[in-house]
Amino acid sequence: MINVKNLAFSYTKAPFMEDINFNVPKGEIFGFLGPSGAGKSTLQKILTGLILGYRGNAIVNGIEVKNRDNSFYENIGVDFEFPSLYEKLTARQNLKFFGSLYSKQLSDIDSLLNAVGLDRDADKKISEYSKGMKSRLNFIKALLHNPDILFLDEPTSGLDPANARTMKDMILTEKTKGKTIILTTHNMQDATELCDRVAFIVDGKIKVMDSPHSLIMLKGANKIEYSYIENGIKKKSNCLIAETVKDKTLNLLIASGNLRSIHSCEPTLNDIFIEVTGRKLE
Amino acid sequence: MKTLRLTSADIKIQYKYGFYLLYSFFTLFYVFILNIMPASWQKTTAVIMIYSDPAAMGLFFMGAIVLLEKSQMILNSLAVSPIKISQYINAKVLSLGLIGTIVGVIIALSAQSNNIITVIIAVFLSSVVFSLIGLIVAFKASSLNQFVIATVPFELILTAPPVITLFGYDNPWLILLPGVAAIKLLSGSYTNPFLLILIQLFWITVSYFICIKVVKKTFRQLGGCKV
Repeated sequence: MINVKNLAFSYTKAPFMEDINFNVPKGEIFGFLGPSGAGKSTLQKILTGLILGYRGNAIVNGIEVKNRDNSFYENIGVDFEFPSLYEKLTARQNLKFFGSLYSKQLSDIDSLLNAVGLDRDADKKISEYSKGMKSRLNFIKALLHNPDILFLDEPTSGLDPANARTMKDMILTEKTKGKTIILTTHNMQDATELCDRVAFIVDGKIKVMDSPHSLIMLKGANKIEYSYIENGIKKKSNCLIAETVKDKTLNLLIASGNLRSIHSCEPTLNDIFIEVTGRKLE
Repeated sequence: MKTLRLTSADIKIQYKYGFYLLYSFFTLFYVFILNIMPASWQKTTAVIMIYSDPAAMGLFFMGAIVLLEKSQMILNSLAVSPIKISQYINAKVLSLGLIGTIVGVIIALSAQSNNIITVIIAVFLSSVVFSLIGLIVAFKASSLNQFVIATVPFELILTAPPVITLFGYDNPWLILLPGVAAIKLLSGSYTNPFLLILIQLFWITVSYFICIKVVKKTFRQLGGCKV
C-alpha cells in the first residue's frame, strides 16, 4: 500500500530527512515514533501529498505522491492532531459538509457518531464541545468516506482513558476491515498496543524498524525478577529465564513456598527507544 | 457537480455564521433609506448602494470567511480532500455572488430601476471581481488587521474612479477599470453594454488566475514549506 524508497527532503539547504526506506502492506498498522522535530510529521505530510518537493520515491496506493491528482484523496483519510472543524456548525453539519467533498459512498453518520459516543451531542455546535469531543469527531471525520489508508496523528491525545480505549478499539476495527493505518505518536503505550510495526525516527532518519514485540524480546525480555522475605526483610533478586534451574535461591524459595512474587522483566518501548536513540520522547 | 455541492455547502455555512441575517438587515435599511429619499435622488443613490455594498461584499466577507477557515484549520482538511482549487474558489465566489445579486436586485427594484437585466449582470460580475480580490488578500493576510490594511488600495482603485464617474467626471480611459464599467452598467449610462461586460470579464480572468496561484501556494505551504 505504501512504498518509500530513498526518500530525502529538506526545508532549507541543510538536509532534514535522508535515506528513508520502508514498505507498509495492506492491513498493517505502522507507527512513526519520535521526539518533536524528528521528522515524523514531515514524513506524514509527504505521504499525504502536503509536501511535494521530496527526492526519492513515496508511492501511496500505487501513486507516486508528487504526481498525485485530486482523486488520490478519495482513498485517504487524515486525522490531524488538532481539530479541523467549523466551530459554529454542529457535529452532524460538519460531517455532512466534509462528506460532500467526496464522490464516494459515505459511511452512515449516525453510526460513526454513535461509535465514538457523540450521538447525543450530534446537534450541538462544535464551540460547545470539549477538547476530547473535538478529537473524537475529528477522528470519525477521517473515516467518513471509508478510505483505504488512514493517517492518524496523535489520535488519543487529550482523551480520557475510557475514550482513548474506544478510539483504540475503533482503530483496531478499521485494521480488521483491511485498512492500512499510519500512526504518528509520542505515546509508546498506544504504539505497543496498536502497531504491527514501528519506526523510530530521530533527526530525520529511521533508527530502528520492527514489531514492538520483537523489539521488546530482543532487548531483554529474558529475565525474571522475584521477591521473598529473609529475616523479616523483603528482598529482591533476578536471574535469566534460561538459568532458572541453576538459581539455587529461587529453587529453595519455590520448594519452601516462601516466594512472594515472580515476574518477567520486559522493557517498555520507551526504554528501548531511549536505549536505541539516546533520546527521550517527552 | 462538485462545485454546486460546495456552493450549496458554503451558502449553508455563511447562513450559520449569520452573514445572511446581517445582509437582510442591511437590505431593509437600504430600502427604507431609498423610500424616504426624494424620487430624483433614488436612482443615483441606489447605484452607489448596490456598487458599494452587495457588489463589494465579497471583498470584506471573503476576508472573514478565509481568516475563519484558517483559524479553525479548515484549510488543512480541504488540502487533503479531493476538491480542486478551482472548485474551492468557484464555490466561494458563486455563493457570495448569488446573495450579492439578490440584494442588488431588491435595492434596484425599490428604486424602480428599469434596467434590471444589466443590474443583475453588473452586480454579479462586480461581486466576482471583489470576491476574487478578497480571496487573494485574505490568503496572503495572516490576521484581520493585516487584511483590513491590505484591502485599502484595492478599495480606493475599485471605488474612487466609479464614484467620480457617476458624478460627472468623464475620461474615456477610466472605462477600462472594472469599477467604472460596472457603475456604467448599473446606472444604465452606456452605449455598448457588451464592451463593459467584456472589460469586467477581462478583470475576472486576470484576478482568477492570480487567485488560483495564491490559493495553490497557500495550500502547498500547509505542509510547512516555503514554495
